Amino acid sequence: MDNTIEKRIQSLNDRLSYTRDIFAGKHEDSIRLLDEKLTEFTNRVRNGEVEDPHTEIVSLEDLFVFVEKRLEKLITPMDRVRIVRHPQRICLRDILENVYDNFTEVGGQDEHSLDPSMLIARAVITRRRGKKMHTQSVMVIGQEKGHGAEFRNGGSVKPWGNAKALQYMRVAETEGIPIHCYIFTPGSYPIEDYPGAAQQIARNIYTMAGLRVPVISIISEGGSGGAEAIGLADKRLMLSHGYYSVISPEGGAAIEGRLKAGQRAAPELIEHCAQNLHITAQDNLSFGYIDSVVQEPALGARPHHFDFFRSLRQEVLRATDEVVITNTKPPMVRGLALARLRNPEANLDEMYVRWGMSGAAKNRMRERRQQKFLRLSRAAAIDNRPFLAKNAAALRDWVTKPWMHFKYDFVRRHQRKLHNIMEELSSEWDVFKGRLFSPWKRIASPAEKKATAKELTTLSNWVDDNRVSKWNYLSPRYKVDRTITCPNSASYGCLDLWGPDLFAEFAGVCSHCGYHFPMEPEWYVQNVFDKGSVFEFNREIEAGNPLNFPNFEERIKAAQEKTGCRSGCMTFEARIDGTKLVVAMLMGTFRGGSFGAAEGYKFVEAAARAAKKRYPFLAYVHGTAGIRIQEGTHGVIQMPRCTVAVRRYIESGGLYLVLYDTNSFAGPVASFLGCAPYQFAVRSSNIGFAGPGVIKETTGMDIPPKYHRSYRALSRGHIQGIWDRRQIRANLKQALLTMGGRNLYYR
Amino acid sequence: MENKEPVDITRHKILVANRGEIAMRIMRACRTLGVAFTAVYTREDADSGHVRLAREQGGDKSLYRVSSYHDANELMAVADDAECTAVHPGYGFFAEDFRFARRVCKRDRRLIFIGPSWKIIRELGDKINTKRLARSLNVPTVPGSDRPIYDEMEAERIARSVFEFQAQQGIARPLVLVKASAGGGGMGIEEVYDIDNFRSVYRRIRNYALRQFKDEGVLIEQRITDFNHLEVQIVSDRSGKNPVHFGTRNCSIQSTGLQKRVEVAPGFVPAQMDYSFDAAKVLQDIVHYSLTMARKVGYDNVGTWEWIVTRQGEPFLMEVNTRIQVENGVSARISSIRNHEGPVDLIAEQIRIGLGEPLGYTQDDVTFDGVGIEYRLIAEDPEHGFTPWVGRIERFAWKEEPWLTMLTHVPTDTPYEIPTEFDPNLALAIIWGKDLAEARERGVSFLDNLHLEGRNNAGEALKSNVDFLRANTARTLRF
Repeated sequence: MDNTIEKRIQSLNDRLSYTRDIFAGKHEDSIRLLDEKLTEFTNRVRNGEVEDPHTEIVSLEDLFVFVEKRLEKLITPMDRVRIVRHPQRICLRDILENVYDNFTEVGGQDEHSLDPSMLIARAVITRRRGKKMHTQSVMVIGQEKGHGAEFRNGGSVKPWGNAKALQYMRVAETEGIPIHCYIFTPGSYPIEDYPGAAQQIARNIYTMAGLRVPVISIISEGGSGGAEAIGLADKRLMLSHGYYSVISPEGGAAIEGRLKAGQRAAPELIEHCAQNLHITAQDNLSFGYIDSVVQEPALGARPHHFDFFRSLRQEVLRATDEVVITNTKPPMVRGLALARLRNPEANLDEMYVRWGMSGAAKNRMRERRQQKFLRLSRAAAIDNRPFLAKNAAALRDWVTKPWMHFKYDFVRRHQRKLHNIMEELSSEWDVFKGRLFSPWKRIASPAEKKATAKELTTLSNWVDDNRVSKWNYLSPRYKVDRTITCPNSASYGCLDLWGPDLFAEFAGVCSHCGYHFPMEPEWYVQNVFDKGSVFEFNREIEAGNPLNFPNFEERIKAAQEKTGCRSGCMTFEARIDGTKLVVAMLMGTFRGGSFGAAEGYKFVEAAARAAKKRYPFLAYVHGTAGIRIQEGTHGVIQMPRCTVAVRRYIESGGLYLVLYDTNSFAGPVASFLGCAPYQFAVRSSNIGFAGPGVIKETTGMDIPPKYHRSYRALSRGHIQGIWDRRQIRANLKQALLTMGGRNLYYR
Repeated sequence: MENKEPVDITRHKILVANRGEIAMRIMRACRTLGVAFTAVYTREDADSGHVRLAREQGGDKSLYRVSSYHDANELMAVADDAECTAVHPGYGFFAEDFRFARRVCKRDRRLIFIGPSWKIIRELGDKINTKRLARSLNVPTVPGSDRPIYDEMEAERIARSVFEFQAQQGIARPLVLVKASAGGGGMGIEEVYDIDNFRSVYRRIRNYALRQFKDEGVLIEQRITDFNHLEVQIVSDRSGKNPVHFGTRNCSIQSTGLQKRVEVAPGFVPAQMDYSFDAAKVLQDIVHYSLTMARKVGYDNVGTWEWIVTRQGEPFLMEVNTRIQVENGVSARISSIRNHEGPVDLIAEQIRIGLGEPLGYTQDDVTFDGVGIEYRLIAEDPEHGFTPWVGRIERFAWKEEPWLTMLTHVPTDTPYEIPTEFDPNLALAIIWGKDLAEARERGVSFLDNLHLEGRNNAGEALKSNVDFLRANTARTLRF
């Protein structure tokens, strides 16, 4: 038999099994039809019954194309998930070989790599304008699934893999070459070993928010944290059959169905979640979280789709050029250049845009990137602030900005000089006065003697008795007459505690071993900050149901009623011993402290407020279970978004402090919390990327007990210190006085 | 609590939340008053006299075995099961634990705490509070700071003035005491001999306090080395308005670990002995000061004001013990109440007023006669730092006398294994004499006729402090 025919039959066989796999039992008749035709043809060819196999196989291939096109229209979101996970799906090495003209892998070779699932390459693209050749370099970073090769770990990157990515981002920044990030990951590998899954992703996002080179990311499989680790970009493209989601549909189904570890979710529930999480490229394009979609061939791109690679190359080049042009060209020329670029007929290989940028252009690009992320997802939160109030706030911002500049950048500086001069003068005067009156003082000394005795034996004046630990707020549990057993009683021999003592005087801390029982958010609000100093703002921004996730509206309502809060993030101004600060508090009581668009909105606003007023900014994590999955990408986009806000705040010279209290996991820790230079934890906290159940599920490993305890996090270097709950106030005060940037109002 | 109608205390049942000698005294007092009681004991105490007494004299549900005297939950469960209405903490254990007192009277099934109200325990249990209260009433206290000092500069300034003050007083070797304001029980206390050493000591104590008590406040006081330790016994009913005193005691004879070994009532005997100061006035003053403070806080049970009296005759308030003390019997022995049958029993008084009865007499009804000496008989080795001796008591006997009261939980008819878990007190012997000389003489004769014999596992003979007590009898009330 003809060798080519055999190859083409093999290829059709692959297409058939691929189709069967991605539909997982659906569209049986179409697939059976193809199967029958192919088997019949194969048998006939093998038996030598076919006269002109070349003609017949063309018609068979046409049939395949026809059926695939028909099935393409019936694709569901869950089918897309199966497509991106299929071993026949294109992977990063295919792209490197077909999209770029040459490349060198720099992050390791095959299994000989720090983390084979993170692939890094220096690649070149050659473009030709007229007779002139231009070679342009890029840093390509992305997860490699390796067509199912086991050592690639399915594109699930370990913390050190992400650290490697960060390192080469920095290299690219030094060399001034663009970065292309290809996202092929179901999620990050959830282990806590240094540098830590969550903390490393946070560092990556933080760095990418300020990279001074163009960054383009292309999403095929964008699984939440793993995707965000290399996903914050000037332009985000998405392959048409990819998905970008806060959580895998299976994970979502496990949460929705409230499954215990080891249980499997029903396929219908998974399908339902995939449908309602709005994970497709079109969905994300309409939300604005990606900038454009790269069309794939029917049923998704596979390595033999060479035309797809050509169009991907065009899109990637276009995106990079666009970023450069928008920030380099003067405004008049820019429009023309962009129009030329955006023309769908244009062949980018025959155009040339220099990718080098001036310092000013780089700053503009950074600013534009940050502003873009800050603007995202606002519509996904319900802003119930009255129209006038909202506008008045905006106006006030606009008016006070120059005033703040004047006050801090001009007046303060001169004030300080004046103050120094006055101080010197007054000390000189004191010395002079002392000399002048010394003879007279010597006569009056017996009176002093009496004063000593008086001071030592009579009642002194004592204004603030901060030794007395009186709490402004007591947990309502203190009213219940019952005894509570400390969980450590078996190992430490703690006696049972009496509820009214424990929840009032002891502040929920076991008086013997120091075990911290969880307390309500109100406890912190009232007891950590000065009495009566708490002023809440943006209370009217409400958590909603942006994806119209079924039955979610009621659950949000129930949470609002239960807690009396409109969202899971409370933002307020408060004072600690007179020092004013802005606090964003993630409350574990509101739907497990999950973080969605409304919470992100409030967080970003709070950071901006702190920056404007030169206040320290405290992120108080009473508890957070992660991103609110029912908000889908509206939730996940809060990771880069809030990190951008945090980075802008830190760079303005403030003090950003994170304090974890109870369980703090997943998205928030892997972004705007984990990126903080100063993170502290209360003894009761557990800090990590994924809970024990998820780790078991995804890695198959049994994790040791107390894996996420704050002391472990401290030894791993994720946090800087552990505080006792009763000492939070004192420690915060100390922190405010000793840490922080140059631009705080009280410096 | 101003109840007009008479209180019927016989309706009550008292949980005796203590062990040993004090538990026996409480149970006896209950019997005298006609109040029911419930006793508790632990495994180690099964042979103790208080268990035997409860078995013999207790009524229904009057004895429970618990795992620990320290477990409040267990005690509450016992109280509920035995249907007790009040708790007597004795001394030690929960006696000065305001949280226990608060729990007892705030829980769903409320009980009476036989002791001062929890607020008073808390207030007077805090040495800074007590000192400030005293100073606000012009009661003399140890010269020094009366609030925690957090600032190093200020601390040094105060230390300097304490040194200066002592120099003015003509004290040859001035000493300054630096102590953690949140500490207690001798932890976090250090002496400074020289102002140049002060800073390093201060920092050490501050860091210790921060680590240990989570509060870096420090107190700076004069260290008084040459003094007598006096006490004033106060009794007041629940109205808190009419406290009376039951005289003074002198507890200056102590072990090297500053544990009392001999207590004498009254505090000084100016008529029989010469003092370098006006002892009568000192006694009068400290009684007056104690009553003033008791009145001010509305003290509503029995309590003891502890004083130190320097050789110059200056009294300084040291602390207030908001409980019945071990040595209450010696004060009771020398006092009598008009129209009161039988000897005075301060524990019975405490129970009576604790349950809400009015006091029923005034200071004028309380009279004193003679001198009482109380010996604490302990199996220990005074020659080697008062190390407790552990073993088995085989013979314990004494000669009964009309002037002698023996309080002990150690059985005299069977051998007794001294439990190692608790304090090693074996017995209290209270001796009365019409004057100091007679009391001393009787004390020595009591000690001479005492038989306390036993062996430990190694077969060595029992060691006790009898010789120490005998040698120190001559020192009593001398200053």
